[in-house]
Amino acid sequence: MNQAGVSGPGGNIYDLGYQSYGGPRLGRRAASGALFRTALRACYGIGRGGRAKIVPIALGVLVLLPAIVAIGISALAAQAPGGGGAFLEEASPVRFSTYQGLILILVMLFAAAQGPELFGRDQRYGVLPLYFSRVLTRTDYALAKTGGLWVALLLLMLVPQLLLLIGRIFVAPDPLTGFQREIGTVPQFLAQSVLAAGLLGSLTALVASNTPRRAYATAIIIALFIIPPMVVGLIGNLVGQDPARLLVLFSPGDILDGTNAWIYGSIPDSPIVASLDLPGPVYLAAAVVGITGATVLTVRRYLTIRV
Amino acid sequence: MTIDDPRMTTPPVVPALQLDHVSRWYGNVVAVNDVSFALGPGVTGLLGPNGAGKSTLLHLMAGLLRPSAGQVLVRGRSAWRDPAIYADIGLVPEKEAVHPYLSGYEFALLNAQLHGVAEPAAAAVRAIETVDLADAAHRPTGTYSKGMRQRAKIAGALVHDPTVLLLDEPFNGMDPRQRLHMMDLLRSMAAAGRTILFSSHILEEVERLADSILVVHAGRLAAAGDYRSIRRLMTDRPHTFTVRSSDDRRLATALIADPAVFGAELADGRLSVSTSDYAAFTHILPRVAAASGISLHEVAPTNDSLESVFSYLVSR
Amino acid sequence: MNVFGPLVSVTLRGVLGRRRLLLMLLLVALPVAIGLLVRLAGGRPDAGVILDNLVVRMVLPLVALVLGTAALGSEIDDGTVVYLLVKPIARRWIILATALVASGVTAVLVVPSAVLTGLLTAGIGSASLTTTFAFAVACLLGGIAYSSAFLALSTVTSRALVIGLVYTLIWEGIVAGLLEGTRFLSIRQATLGVAAALGGKRPGSEPLEPAISFVILAVVTVGALVIATRQLARFEVRGGD
Repeated sequence: MNQAGVSGPGGNIYDLGYQSYGGPRLGRRAASGALFRTALRACYGIGRGGRAKIVPIALGVLVLLPAIVAIGISALAAQAPGGGGAFLEEASPVRFSTYQGLILILVMLFAAAQGPELFGRDQRYGVLPLYFSRVLTRTDYALAKTGGLWVALLLLMLVPQLLLLIGRIFVAPDPLTGFQREIGTVPQFLAQSVLAAGLLGSLTALVASNTPRRAYATAIIIALFIIPPMVVGLIGNLVGQDPARLLVLFSPGDILDGTNAWIYGSIPDSPIVASLDLPGPVYLAAAVVGITGATVLTVRRYLTIRV
Repeated sequence: MTIDDPRMTTPPVVPALQLDHVSRWYGNVVAVNDVSFALGPGVTGLLGPNGAGKSTLLHLMAGLLRPSAGQVLVRGRSAWRDPAIYADIGLVPEKEAVHPYLSGYEFALLNAQLHGVAEPAAAAVRAIETVDLADAAHRPTGTYSKGMRQRAKIAGALVHDPTVLLLDEPFNGMDPRQRLHMMDLLRSMAAAGRTILFSSHILEEVERLADSILVVHAGRLAAAGDYRSIRRLMTDRPHTFTVRSSDDRRLATALIADPAVFGAELADGRLSVSTSDYAAFTHILPRVAAASGISLHEVAPTNDSLESVFSYLVSR
Repeated sequence: MNVFGPLVSVTLRGVLGRRRLLLMLLLVALPVAIGLLVRLAGGRPDAGVILDNLVVRMVLPLVALVLGTAALGSEIDDGTVVYLLVKPIARRWIILATALVASGVTAVLVVPSAVLTGLLTAGIGSASLTTTFAFAVACLLGGIAYSSAFLALSTVTSRALVIGLVYTLIWEGIVAGLLEGTRFLSIRQATLGVAAALGGKRPGSEPLEPAISFVILAVVTVGALVIATRQLARFEVRGGD
């Protein structure tokens, strides 16, 4: 609806050829998908300047290191004569069951660094009205961003484990036996990584969306992973097992330790978790409750935020 | 020297504010480039497009930035790293917000207390009333509109009765009534002998309020002084006058004969005359008109406004 | 020096923002809650364990970090520090006022928490009282050192909170604990040393000698205040036109 080329006695309006868009519009799903992709890219600093890539690249390299080291050890083991090879294999601290324990702190640092940027920036610069006045609903916004963070963390955990898988397949005497030997681990590390990404991601999203100031959000997320295990350890040692059993379900780090142990049938890394001896499905339930609860609260935050 | 020699009785005046070949750069970007000027009592307007370096200059003058070269002198003392100069200076910054949890009155009171004013509460109340903020003075500044925040900042800068007042885009966000009120205030302060410098990119404000102007463009000082005098100095740009007389055509012919006039144009029933020498033309016109027996009805300079001065200066 | 009062007052109001205060109260309530839990469960551990592990290693540095970086740092961040600077006040008074607020509020929050935790876990036997008192004083002095250090950090960089976190968690938490020779570069170790000097330590730990501990805390505090004053005197406004 524009006035084109109107002229009258006192003045003229000129037709600049300005037209409104009348073509097809991609609806909500496309918008959510675009926001999700942007969030995922932002986590890895793609499409941003060099400084935004430092943390993702540094942490990305660090999470790959154990896998590379393990492949190296496996390769040596395969070439070593006789029983020495098998011994070397067994002694390697890097396996799928221990992988999470090794890299969880790195993944947590990644979430603590990138999450606040993802959720806090839009709030700090006041651009939320620009998002909310589009087809995208507030829920879509919250879920798309959280989803982007989830997938970013999932990739961070899966890529090295896939690398480990491939390495072990090819290090075996022939790829086929290697494949058959290792294939069982795929659903295991997939499941654990999904749980870890989900729990880390939704808790980070919850904290970051409620704390626009980046430094505070980072500090709180790190504290959320470091303090509870200490508290659980103290309570377990000083008070007793029962209160510790209750408290451990509020400690994200310990929950993931528990699910890891259950999935792989191994002993948990943390001595206190091992001594508490809760059945695996309890940790799984706690993780699921944590993920859904945190996500619901994140959505609620964006539903009620005043822009 | 005799006792009547003026050099004996009038002591040398130290300018309230002086910049001496001041430059400021950030790495490769030069924000202020070799600027020198001196300010005295009265209102001076710092005029320039956005990004010209006005805020940088004001921060340099307030001792909040170190000059990369040259020096900034407040009453002869270097402005950098000398907190004592602030007893005489009031600064109204543009970007910085006021503590949002303080009310307007509390902010003025804080400033008064930190300046060591004798009766801070009374001074704060006076300052609040001067800027017409008494109604909202007890609400937190976080709830203020932009114009109110500006006025709160000005109150905070006035509370210790400074002799030098630096204002960075002070009329931003004010409605016309508030702006007029503030301009009256600044004019009266200048008349009382204070040195006031305000920056703006809006020509009308500067034209209305400033006694003299400083034009900055891309970090350089393009011109300084009264804008009409600056106009006179722009000799490579011809002055045009519109003349209405009893016989335009004959007047045009007569004027063209004079070497000071280099163009005369008849259009739309008016005579436009171009001359490079303003002073000479003011003598020539009546002489020529009288000699030819033509009476002049109207003589008006057509490109003498601040706007045309400014646009010329920043397009060079 | 009647500018000191208003300086302290405005800094105090800025630091005690509602959210920040709530977070700090939660943090200092944690050891007390654990102490309560231990008591209710009938346990009677050595107070030194909880006070060392939880209060000195976790709560004290975090509270001092948040308050120390907020006292002046929040004003530097949003630019309102300009109003403090364009006043004829020597920069050292501004630093002293903000440091007083930061360490004062830290002390007010952490010392009662330490005392309550100690009393709850170990009761009122004379040995336990000594431990509790020792840790309380150590927290006071350590709090002053920590908050001054973090205040100085906030005048040097805008990322003071994150860098302070890295210092606390990684340097003090891991490195200085592992490498014997670097223990004197850790405020935490100095604080524990002061506690030990006054009679309170975690059984099985080997804290620094008393003299060194006090000296470290003093040097850190004074050095931090000097650095902060120097930085503030050379403060430059951010950005251009």
